Amino acid sequence: MLYIIVATALAFDFTNGFHDTANAVATSVSTRAMSPRVAVALSATLNFVGAFLSLEVAATIAKGIVEAGDVTLLIVFAGLIGAIAWNLVTWWFGLPSSSSHALIGGIVGAMVAANGPDAVIWSGIVQKVAIPGLVAPVLALLVAAMSILIAYRIVGHQSPGVVTRGFRLGQLVSGSLFSLSHGTNDAQKTMGIIFLALVANGNLASTADVPVWVVVSSASAIAAGTYAGGWRIIRTMGTRIIKMDPAQGFAAQSVGAAVILSASHVGFPLSTTHVMSGGIMGAGAAKRLSAVRWGVAGNIVTAWLLTLPCSAAVGAAAYGVVQIFGTGTAGPIVVLTGLSITLALAFARRASVAGEAT
Amino acid sequence: MTLFAVEVSQLAEVVWVSALAGLGITTTFSLAVFGTGRYLEATRTGRRGMALAYATLAIALLLVFAGGVIWGVQIMLSK
Repeated sequence: MLYIIVATALAFDFTNGFHDTANAVATSVSTRAMSPRVAVALSATLNFVGAFLSLEVAATIAKGIVEAGDVTLLIVFAGLIGAIAWNLVTWWFGLPSSSSHALIGGIVGAMVAANGPDAVIWSGIVQKVAIPGLVAPVLALLVAAMSILIAYRIVGHQSPGVVTRGFRLGQLVSGSLFSLSHGTNDAQKTMGIIFLALVANGNLASTADVPVWVVVSSASAIAAGTYAGGWRIIRTMGTRIIKMDPAQGFAAQSVGAAVILSASHVGFPLSTTHVMSGGIMGAGAAKRLSAVRWGVAGNIVTAWLLTLPCSAAVGAAAYGVVQIFGTGTAGPIVVLTGLSITLALAFARRASVAGEAT
Repeated sequence: MTLFAVEVSQLAEVVWVSALAGLGITTTFSLAVFGTGRYLEATRTGRRGMALAYATLAIALLLVFAGGVIWGVQIMLSK
């Protein structure tokens, strides 16, 4: 069971990496500050480095959301399945959505299926998911809009060549900072889950340090996922919301990094996906409201609203299946096999549709 | 005061710190780009005094921008 949990957690970490690559590289790629391959390679490297910067895993993702004493390995497994499924579905449709919210949703769904709604701390959901989910995009949108107006005012009469080169260079820095911060935040979730599984399995005391192999494997999984690159989401964030110039790309990215790190400094963590999407919309809308493709923006917001209920539903269903087989490994193996078959069928169908089109 | 389980003062702090940091970092870098552009223009037209002044402005603002980046890394390290 421990091996299955570790492998599933690393698989989630991988989907987290490729799903969120867009947050760091979409604006740099679309403004040609970096070539796509260089951008994902730099982002993957910085995600790997970022995972080593902080090892504060005491606060796991589910703390304050569900009753900690009721969490079992099967609930964690089902929660991970809910999060992975939602990450894959949103990637399939090219929609940026929060991997953290998906993981919370998956664990909440599994917890409700296992212990009923009383095992969930609903005020924690409001505090950690609903309010930040509302604040993050609106705040980033407004700050990015004001920032780009100021930037245009300052550099408006400068030679376009200098301005373009200057902001592209700035994007190298802001994109790097974003990737580093993503590695620090998001690899922690996986480390926390593997650590929890090791403690629950009796391999480690709850006061022990995080083993080096846990840090290295989590860092490697998120970096590999980032390098794999979720190109569908990169296309959505880089070109489908707005067509960006380097100043807009820089404003969206630097405001995104500033908002995330400032909020983190105050102790109110926000989703990188929500902040970055809001920043891109703000940088576009300030130039011209019609520059933003509001239909695409609407689809993204719909995906955010559906993240928690959908990942919770899959988490609950996964728990329902695994508990039929008892507490052994048979249930998780059945669920993983089902997920693999679904994925294989989806890719086969996609390949056949692509073949018919050509 | 709490609103929907969130401390209003904490939320207000998030808003003003984020706005200040976001606007500050973009304005600083934009002014550095402006200084660089004016420095190049002054160099081309042979106005050495102006070139020096704009180069100083650009370098100073780039240093402030670098300070902001270092502050960001420090937040990551202290979490």
